[in-house]
Amino acid sequence: MIKLEHVNKSFHNGKPAVRDVSFEVNTGETLVLLGTSGSGKTTTLRMINRLIAPDSGQILVNGESVNTQQTEALRRNIGYVLQDNGLFPHYTVAENIGIVPTLLKWDKKRIEERTRSLMEKLRLSVADHYDEYPQQLSGGQQQRVGLARALAADPAVLLMDEPFGALDPVTRASVRKEFRSLDEIHNKTVIMVTHDVPEAFELGNRICLMDKGAIQQTGTPAELLFNPVNDFVSNFFQEQRFWLELNALRLTDIRSWLSDTVPGENHAPVLKGEDSCWDALEQLTTLSAPVNILFNDKLVRIDTSELMHAFTQYKQTVSGHGRSTRLS
Amino acid sequence: MEDQPGFPEFVQQQAGKLLEQTLQHIGLTFISLLIAVVIGVPLGILITRRKKLAGIVLGIAGVLQTIPSIALLGFMIPLLGIGAKPAIMALFLYALLPIIRNTYTGILQVDPVVIDAATGMGMSKRQLLYRVQLPLAMPVLLAGIRTATVINVGVATLAAYIAAGGLGEFIFGGIALNNTNMILAGAIPAALLAIIFDWAVARLQKLRAQKVKTALYFLPFLLVILSSFYLLPAAYGSSLVAGFTPEFMGRKDGNLGLKQVYGLHMRTVVISDMIMYKAAYEKTLDVISGSTTDGRVRAFDLQALTDDKHIFPPYYAAPIVRQETLDKYPELAPALNKLSGIINDSVMTELNYRVDHLKQDPAAVASDFLKAKGLLQVAKHGTKGTVVIGAKIFGDGYILANMYKLLVNGYTELEATTKTGLGGTKICFDALTNGQIDLYPEYSGTGLLVILQADKSVVDTLISDNQKVYDYVSREFMQRYHIKWLPPIGFNNTYALMMRRQQAADLHITSISDLKEYLLHH
Ligand SMILES: Nc1ncnc2c1ncn2[C@@H]1O[C@H](COP(=O)(O)OP(=O)(O)O)[C@@H](O)[C@H]1O
Ligand SMILES: [Mg+2]
Repeated sequence: MIKLEHVNKSFHNGKPAVRDVSFEVNTGETLVLLGTSGSGKTTTLRMINRLIAPDSGQILVNGESVNTQQTEALRRNIGYVLQDNGLFPHYTVAENIGIVPTLLKWDKKRIEERTRSLMEKLRLSVADHYDEYPQQLSGGQQQRVGLARALAADPAVLLMDEPFGALDPVTRASVRKEFRSLDEIHNKTVIMVTHDVPEAFELGNRICLMDKGAIQQTGTPAELLFNPVNDFVSNFFQEQRFWLELNALRLTDIRSWLSDTVPGENHAPVLKGEDSCWDALEQLTTLSAPVNILFNDKLVRIDTSELMHAFTQYKQTVSGHGRSTRLS
Repeated sequence: MEDQPGFPEFVQQQAGKLLEQTLQHIGLTFISLLIAVVIGVPLGILITRRKKLAGIVLGIAGVLQTIPSIALLGFMIPLLGIGAKPAIMALFLYALLPIIRNTYTGILQVDPVVIDAATGMGMSKRQLLYRVQLPLAMPVLLAGIRTATVINVGVATLAAYIAAGGLGEFIFGGIALNNTNMILAGAIPAALLAIIFDWAVARLQKLRAQKVKTALYFLPFLLVILSSFYLLPAAYGSSLVAGFTPEFMGRKDGNLGLKQVYGLHMRTVVISDMIMYKAAYEKTLDVISGSTTDGRVRAFDLQALTDDKHIFPPYYAAPIVRQETLDKYPELAPALNKLSGIINDSVMTELNYRVDHLKQDPAAVASDFLKAKGLLQVAKHGTKGTVVIGAKIFGDGYILANMYKLLVNGYTELEATTKTGLGGTKICFDALTNGQIDLYPEYSGTGLLVILQADKSVVDTLISDNQKVYDYVSREFMQRYHIKWLPPIGFNNTYALMMRRQQAADLHITSISDLKEYLLHH
C-alpha cells in the first residue's frame, strides 16, 4: 500500500515540479502515472523510495511514513525499475538479479534458485544468459533483467519508471505482455510511470493523469475516458479515443444493451465478460462470424453490428450525465 | 681511457651489484607507489564527495608534479636527510597526482543511472563505493597507477644522488666515468622495468571485472613483496656508513682501490657530490670520498684521512707556462714562483671556503691572501708586454689565476690579464698550446692521466710517488709541447676519505689503514 498526501516538491530553480499530489494505491493494484514529459511523474515516483526528498506532504508505504523507516531497508523492500535499465555493467546477469537478496544477506543457494526461477518466468534462458554480462544482451533482454532485479527479493512495492520506454514497439509489446502475465505482481502495490497512453490503458488498473506537476484526474481508464473532469483530460485522449474506448470497456459494461441470443449448434465460449470490447471486435473480424461470450453462467452469441450498437448505446447513456459525475 | 670489456662481460662481472640495484629500484618504486595508493585513493574518493576540496587537492598535487625531480629531491634533504626516506617521499609525491586524479575522474565518470539504480536498490554509501563506484572506476584508476609506476621507475634513478640506491648508481657512475657499459647496465634494466610494469598493469586493466576482483586481492601483497626488496640489501653492513660519488665508486683510484689495496669493506651508499659533505656533517654518513681542497671540508669541519698506501694519485698544482713566453720575459718565472710552496691543502681549502661558501670575490680573496703573506705589491702598470693567464671553470683555478695576475702586475713591468672559466682540461690546454693563453695552473695527476694519457705500465710505476709524477710530466711536456712546469704551489687536490673531525679523533682514526683496523673490530 502506498499513500501520498499533499506532496510538494520544487527544485533549486524554484519552479514546482510536483504540486499537491495525493493518491492511494492498494495492494494488488497497478497505478499508472501518465503525462507528457516534464509533468513531474519521475519526481513523484522517486520521492516514494526517497531518492528525492519532498518539500512538504506525507508519503506512506505499507502504512508507515517513509521518513520514519530506515532508508536502505525501505529501498530494499521496494522494487525499482529504471527506464535506461541501470544494470551494473560489471555484474553478470545473475549477479544483477541477485543484488537485493545479496544486500539482504540471503544465503547463496536461495539467491541462485530465486534468480533461476525469475529468469525462467521472464523467458530469459538460464543456460545462455546466466553468466553473461548486460552488454551482451539485447535491449529487451536487458529490460527483463531489470525487471527480474526489481522483483528478486519479492518486494511488497514495485516502482517502474518508463520500464518499456527504450524498447522498439515489437519488443515493447512482448515484454509488456510477459509483465502482465507475471503472477508475481498480483499481490504487489505497483506504480508505473509512462507517457504512452495505450501502455497506461493496458497495464493500469487506475491511471493518474498529471500535467505541470499536478494531478488532473485519477480513475479507471473508463472513468477518464467517459467522465473526464476537465478539457485537459478529454483532450489528452482525443487522438486514439475510439480505440481506447473499445479497450477500456469490458463486455460486462455493455451487457445490458446486448440481446440474449443463445448460440445454436456451437456452444464453445470464445470470450468472457471480463474481456474488452476491443477483444470482441478483434475476434469478430478474425473469424468473420458471430462469437460466444460467457457472462457468469450464461452463454450469449453476438455479431459485429450488435456489439457496435451496444457500445454506442453505452456511450450515449454515460455522456448524458457524464460530465457531472465528478470523481473524487 | 682504459680498454672497456664487452657489455656481456661487464654485466657478468657486476651481476651481484646489478641485482642489488635492480631490487632496490623495484623496492623504491613500489614502496612509494604503495603509499601513494594508500593515501591517494581515499583522497580521490573524498574529493568526489566534497567538490570544493577537489580544486585545492588536485591543484596542490599538480604543482608538486611540476617541480623538477632533482629539485624536489633537494627540498626533501633538509627535511628528511639523505637515503631512502627523502627518495621515497619524493617518489610518493610524484605518484600522488595521477592516482588522486584518476580515482576522482574514474568515480565521476561512472554512469549516473547506474549509481541511481544502486542507491535505489538500497545500497549504503559504503556498499555503493565498494560494489559499484570503485569496480567501475577501476580501469581509470589502474591507468593512474600505471602512469605513476612508469614515472616512478624513471625518477627512481635519481635516488642514486641521495644515497637511496637503485639503478641510477650505474647510470650516473657510467656518465661520470664515460663508461658506456656501466650506463647501459643501469639504463637497460630501468627501461625494462618500466616496460614490464606498464604491460602488467595494462593487462590488469583489460581483465574482466570478475577477475579484476581476484587480482585486486593479490595486488596489495604483491606491492608489499615488491616493496620489501628495498629492505633486503640494507640487511648487511658495518657500523660506519660511507657515501661515495658515482664516479668514485667505479674508479680504480677510488672504491675499487680501497677494496683491493686496503681491503676496506664497509657499508657504502652512492651519493651526489652536491650533498655528500653536508650529509657527513649531519652524521648521515661517516666516511665520504671528498676532494681535499674543497671549501666544504672546512665549512663542515671534516678531516681527510692519510692515504698511507698511496692509492690516490697526486694532484699537485703548479703553473704551466709556454717556454716561448718564459724566454721572452725572463722576469716572469721568478714572479710566479713567489707562490711556490706557500699554499698547502688546508690553506687552499680555506680560500675555497671563502669563495664557495662565504661567496667572497675571488679577486679580493687572492689579494687579501697575498697581503697577509707580504707578497702584495702595488701594480706597476708596466708596458713591456702582456701575459694572459687562464683557468679552468671550476675549483681552485679562479683564485690562483687572480693571485698570479697580482704577482705579475706587482713584480714585473708586464701587464697581466686573466681568461678564467675555460671549460675543462682539454680546452685550457689547447688554448695554451695555441698561444691564446700563456699559462694556467694545472695538476700533475691530470697532466699524467688526461693530457699525456700515459700507458698503464708507466702510470703504475709512477703513481704512488709525487716527485716521480712531477718529474715525468715536466720532462714529457717540455719535449712534446715546449711547455714548462714551474715548481708546485704546494697543495694536493686529490681524492681523500674524510670523516668528521670529532668522530675521527674519538675513534683514533687518522689514516685509511686505521679506518680498516677499526672496522675489523667493530
Ligand atoms: N534534479 C532536478 N533538478 C532540477 N529540476 C528538475 C530535476 N529533476 C526534475 N526537474 C524538473 O522537474 C520537472 C519534472 O520533472 P520529471 O519529474 O522528471 O518529469 P517527468 O518524469 O514527468 O518527465 C521538470 O520541469 C524537470 O525539469
Ligand atoms: Mg521521467
